Amino acid sequence: MKKAKVENKIDLTFELNGQPYHLTVPPTYRLVDILRTDLQLTGTKISCEIGRCGACSVLLNGKVVNSCLVMAYQIQLSTIETIEHVSHQSLHPIQQAFLEEGGLQCGYCTPGMIIALKDLLEQNQQPTDEEVFEHLSGNLCRCTGYTGIIRAVQRYREVVNKKEEIQ
Amino acid sequence: MKELNKNEYKSKWRIRPDGHDKVTGSLKYLTDYCFPNMLVGKVLRSSFPHAKINSINTTEAEQLEGVEAIITYKDVPGMNRFGLIFPDQPVLCEDTVRYVGDAVAAVAAISEEIAMKALSLIFVEYEPLEVIDSPDKALSSQMKLHPAGNVLHRAGYKNSEYVLDELKKCPYIVEETYETPRQMHAYMETEGGVVVPENDGKLTVYAATQHGFKDRMQLARILSIPESNIRVISSPIGGSFGGKDELNIQPYAALLAIKTKKPVKLHNKRTESVRAGIKRHPMKMTMTTGANEEGKLVGHIVRIVADTGAYATLGPAVLDFAVEHSTGPYIIPYVDIEGVSVFTNNGVSGEYRGFGGNQVTFALESQMDRLAELLQINPLVFREQNLRKADDPGPLGQRIVKNDGARSVLTMIKKSPILTQPLKTEPLNVKGRGVAITMHGGGLGFGRPDPSGARLSLTKDGEIEIAFGFEEFGQGLLGSIEIMMMEALGCRKEDLKIVIGDTDLVPSSGSSTASRSTNMIWNGIQKLKEPFLNKILDEAASYTDTTRDLLYLGGKGIWRKGKIDQLIISYYDLANYLSDKLPIFHTQFHFPTTPDAVIGGHYLYSFAAVAAEVEIDQLTGRVKVTKMDHCVAAGPVVNPLGYLGQIEGGAVMGLGFTINEDSVMENGRYHTQNLDSYLIPTIKDIPKEMKVFVDESLMEGDVFGPRGVGEIGTVAIAPAVTAAIHDACGLWVKNLPVSSEEVLDALTINAFVEK
Repeated sequence: MKKAKVENKIDLTFELNGQPYHLTVPPTYRLVDILRTDLQLTGTKISCEIGRCGACSVLLNGKVVNSCLVMAYQIQLSTIETIEHVSHQSLHPIQQAFLEEGGLQCGYCTPGMIIALKDLLEQNQQPTDEEVFEHLSGNLCRCTGYTGIIRAVQRYREVVNKKEEIQ
Repeated sequence: MKELNKNEYKSKWRIRPDGHDKVTGSLKYLTDYCFPNMLVGKVLRSSFPHAKINSINTTEAEQLEGVEAIITYKDVPGMNRFGLIFPDQPVLCEDTVRYVGDAVAAVAAISEEIAMKALSLIFVEYEPLEVIDSPDKALSSQMKLHPAGNVLHRAGYKNSEYVLDELKKCPYIVEETYETPRQMHAYMETEGGVVVPENDGKLTVYAATQHGFKDRMQLARILSIPESNIRVISSPIGGSFGGKDELNIQPYAALLAIKTKKPVKLHNKRTESVRAGIKRHPMKMTMTTGANEEGKLVGHIVRIVADTGAYATLGPAVLDFAVEHSTGPYIIPYVDIEGVSVFTNNGVSGEYRGFGGNQVTFALESQMDRLAELLQINPLVFREQNLRKADDPGPLGQRIVKNDGARSVLTMIKKSPILTQPLKTEPLNVKGRGVAITMHGGGLGFGRPDPSGARLSLTKDGEIEIAFGFEEFGQGLLGSIEIMMMEALGCRKEDLKIVIGDTDLVPSSGSSTASRSTNMIWNGIQKLKEPFLNKILDEAASYTDTTRDLLYLGGKGIWRKGKIDQLIISYYDLANYLSDKLPIFHTQFHFPTTPDAVIGGHYLYSFAAVAAEVEIDQLTGRVKVTKMDHCVAAGPVVNPLGYLGQIEGGAVMGLGFTINEDSVMENGRYHTQNLDSYLIPTIKDIPKEMKVFVDESLMEGDVFGPRGVGEIGTVAIAPAVTAAIHDACGLWVKNLPVSSEEVLDALTINAFVEK
């Protein structure tokens, strides 16, 4: 998709999924468009575009953000991780748990959910249900009724517990 | 009675075939596609809910650099209308707009920014007309929204001339009017796709739909080109729930692609999706229901008014369904039901999971609870003594397949701890519990074309290929096909190739709606498996010179029974051997219908019961559903993970319908334009405890197989929750979504009475 001719552009340098990137784009381009349109990383989804649904969640400097609310100038010299990188070596245990427990149906919210959960689980491997609910309340899912997602987190906790026991 | 969970179903609990690509983000949805030289399309929608168009001026927009095409009604070469039952919706309006989603022009440009700028340079001269923003106004207004008037459809059912007389004799009568909201599908992936003009003059449409062949037919009519020149690729889809069955962006992208000879992508923004997309029919239902001294239902008068919005879409069928389901699973000797579906200048109402059943079930089940209270009978006992028996006729008096699901789900739900264990009291909250049941028809019903089909073949690559014209929009269709095929043929998933959602590659199987796909897939496979197995085994026997009776299909290929079973020929080798005479079998059949000529009447039904516990905050009136149990009788569980997901997801969607969802409109305009004001349940809003129980049995002689469960999980939630609210605070909820103010009023009255 070609972009409009706009005079005012900025040079951006950032790290995306472990790789250095240089781009020249208008400063008001949204991160979600840079990812989906310019870089063809379509794992990051687009839905409400007002930061309410969480489908476009990515990790920016290790913290979950709605990429529809992040402007290009805000990613200068930052580190970004998208869903495509979460499984770059093998499935993340939370992805595996989603598969086993039916944490997804249409799957359109799933990348955002996984990103939000990765953010939580990296801070806290054994979150309480309340912490999970709090952390995921910005990610909407219309298919699963969330029950499968909750089962997936429970499953993840069990797996982590077992690993800890073995160690 | 069996709880539907991983432990109970063990090896049948299987990871979905599309799961890996969904959790890794590698799956391409149709709105993720990009092509070289692709343009961005945008649609200019009406500035008014109702207006005459005096002129459309596109000159200035056309001169904008980067704009490659602008279309208006003049650019529609064929029929400028679409619609699944009556094609009455203009692709691009000529002289009148009837709602704010109406399309007036569309643009293709090299970027979204330019396309948006171009829209602002299209000047439309409107002459606003009176806005008819309610069915009441439409029925009394002189202003005709369509040439034939403001009534889209009337439907009814009456089994006696003496309904009113019999009701008058009833010692117990409840009369009430209920209203339900304009619920939005709120699929996470908004409508969108790409249309690509191919070098050979054909058109490839990558866009979400629940019925690829119907899209193709309608597009051919609009574009005035043969259907064979259009290929519709319609999977995977990021959610639909009935909301993408009607054409949405396809005609605009197609017209623009033809005009520019370049791929054109259209992807609705959420606000545009809200404005243009279809919704659940808001309904106003008045019910008068009477019972005798013994607590038997005697009479039931129902009047339904449905706000169908500006265009027909599936409005007539939705109303028929509501009429049919407004007696539910009960035997009522005197019944008189009338429904009317009315055009307005509100958003278009169409197909939505439950298809009119949700609205009337809320009203009917509320009536049952009120009558039970009048009679001072336990609501479950009251239901039980009026419940249909296995061989009773269907709700329209039609013959239906014998089914004792009503009793089964009622018996199951009685055991729910939500209903049997004492409520724990808390100082700041009041609690209550309630129950409701439903009976829900599958398929399109008598008198409606409802054909299906399937194809089973061995490919040259040695894969067993099964093809259906269904779409995967998240419901788990691919998983269900995989499981049914493995069970039917004995092969592994690695031996299978599943083809769906592409009109060039699949047989026509009808739409992926009306809880019909699972049932039609099962039937298709049953019809094809014998000829396929026979052919494969015959060929394998002759090629390997083995006795046919010793052979069977298994993992990798054909096996021979013996002390140790042996693989005698792989599918790949057999396919090589057969090369130019590879077996391919087709079947075409019809969804089973009642033998009685009752238009829209169903033949196969499924049943569900719901128990809910609510907790009401005494300070805010906020209702939280804390526990919910669901019992479903829909025949064998094909795909436990998929089945559970449909019931759980449906239940939470039903919860949204009950507690907070409403596409609020005023003067034909939406107040709730995005997910910040249209509130669907979040993870914090769902019950902490939710269980699903199933009855998998079919009655003796029932050869119709597993029923689909795509809709039934949503249907009985609202009345179960509102019954629980009544139990907690005495309020009889009449209007959905539940108003916290009304709940607070009820609590205040309680407090006053207690003092």
